[in-house]
Amino acid sequence: MPDGIMLCALDELSNGALGFDPFNDGRDTVFAVFRNGEVYAYSDVCPHYGDTSLPWKKNAYLDSRGEHIVCAAHGALFTIDEGYCVSGPCRGESLTPVPVTVKNNTVWLITSPTGENKK
Amino acid sequence: MNIIGPELLIFGVDDVQACRQFALDYGLTASGDNRFVALDGTGIEVYAADDESLAAPLSTGSAIRKTVYGVKSQADIDAIKAELSKDREVTTLDDGSIEAFDDLGFLLGFMITQRKSLELEAEKVNAPGAVAQRGVNLTAVNKDDVGVPRSLSHVVYFVPDFPKAEAFYRDRLGFVTTDRFTHVGPFMRPAGTTDHHTLFFIQTPPHMQGIEHFTFHMGGPTDVMTAGTNMVNKGYQSFWGPGRHIFGSNWFWYFKSPFGCNMEFDADMDLHDDSWTAREAPPGADNSQVFLLQYREKWAPMGPPPPGAGGKPREAP
Repeated sequence: MPDGIMLCALDELSNGALGFDPFNDGRDTVFAVFRNGEVYAYSDVCPHYGDTSLPWKKNAYLDSRGEHIVCAAHGALFTIDEGYCVSGPCRGESLTPVPVTVKNNTVWLITSPTGENKK
Repeated sequence: MNIIGPELLIFGVDDVQACRQFALDYGLTASGDNRFVALDGTGIEVYAADDESLAAPLSTGSAIRKTVYGVKSQADIDAIKAELSKDREVTTLDDGSIEAFDDLGFLLGFMITQRKSLELEAEKVNAPGAVAQRGVNLTAVNKDDVGVPRSLSHVVYFVPDFPKAEAFYRDRLGFVTTDRFTHVGPFMRPAGTTDHHTLFFIQTPPHMQGIEHFTFHMGGPTDVMTAGTNMVNKGYQSFWGPGRHIFGSNWFWYFKSPFGCNMEFDADMDLHDDSWTAREAPPGADNSQVFLLQYREKWAPMGPPPPGAGGKPREAP
């Protein structure tokens, strides 16, 4: 049994954030950020509308300093480690975390036994 | 006051290089280091958020730092200065333009317009029963065509008190409300244009105040489609569209952008004069789009008005 769905090699995350399409939707639905030795992953959905993806182009999830996750629709800023919106339309709301694990330098999306990661 | 419409939008952004590239890919032309213009010379200016030449940002951090309106003549500048000087500071800058804050804290500028008059044709359409607009043997499209923005069209603000905003632009600057969404805000046009709107307000909680989107007029719906497709092909991500609005009838396609707001292409907007009676409709997908090629249930974020703010102004049409 696999641990889940392979997202990428850990090295590939070293420059910031990447978007993924683990459930074959034809667009990125999950993104992951590597920060301070940890991988944080969230659904690529801004809580402002609840049906809008964040980046203005593929993988553009972070501000220029790599300090915050950004939604490009209206400039909302989220903390990387908690996905908590500190500025913007959805201030006080949070991104939905996606469970991931790192094994053998590979980032895996954990496929939940209850199926909540699956379409 | 012959305010024609927005002439320049000035931004202070997080990633200047990304915004410059976005502006070029959108179809604007670089004019100096910071300015990017449409065919008529109207456009945007892009600076780093901490650039010292910019006025302080709104407390919300919105990237819009100044909205500059074009007016017809010096007499209009003088009239605006006289009016706004009644209750606020109006500064005359070295270039002869003036600036002052509106009643919500947005910095405005007013300059004699430098926009070029364009002599271009609109998109031509043939239909049974109508005289052909495009003659025989003239082909409409070319695989490589990409529409070019012609003129800065309108700007949309999130505001915490739309009746206050509407009253300021109507009573102090001569804007007219052409249509409105109930409890959301008015579409407004200044006296110097017949465009359905150059300004639209969306009522939100105060922490959202800022720019929601801005857009340029294109030559027709096909230009909207080709310019938008070009953006998609370059890797930019659509936010809403393509589709066609009901109020204003303009075709639209919105893209997320590194400006911290959406950037739109629009075309074929309705024109109105003072004989028009403003319509009102509840907001929502049914009343904001005739059709949408990629459906979105929600079209604009909203929030309750602050205490004492709700409802349209007594004097409003």
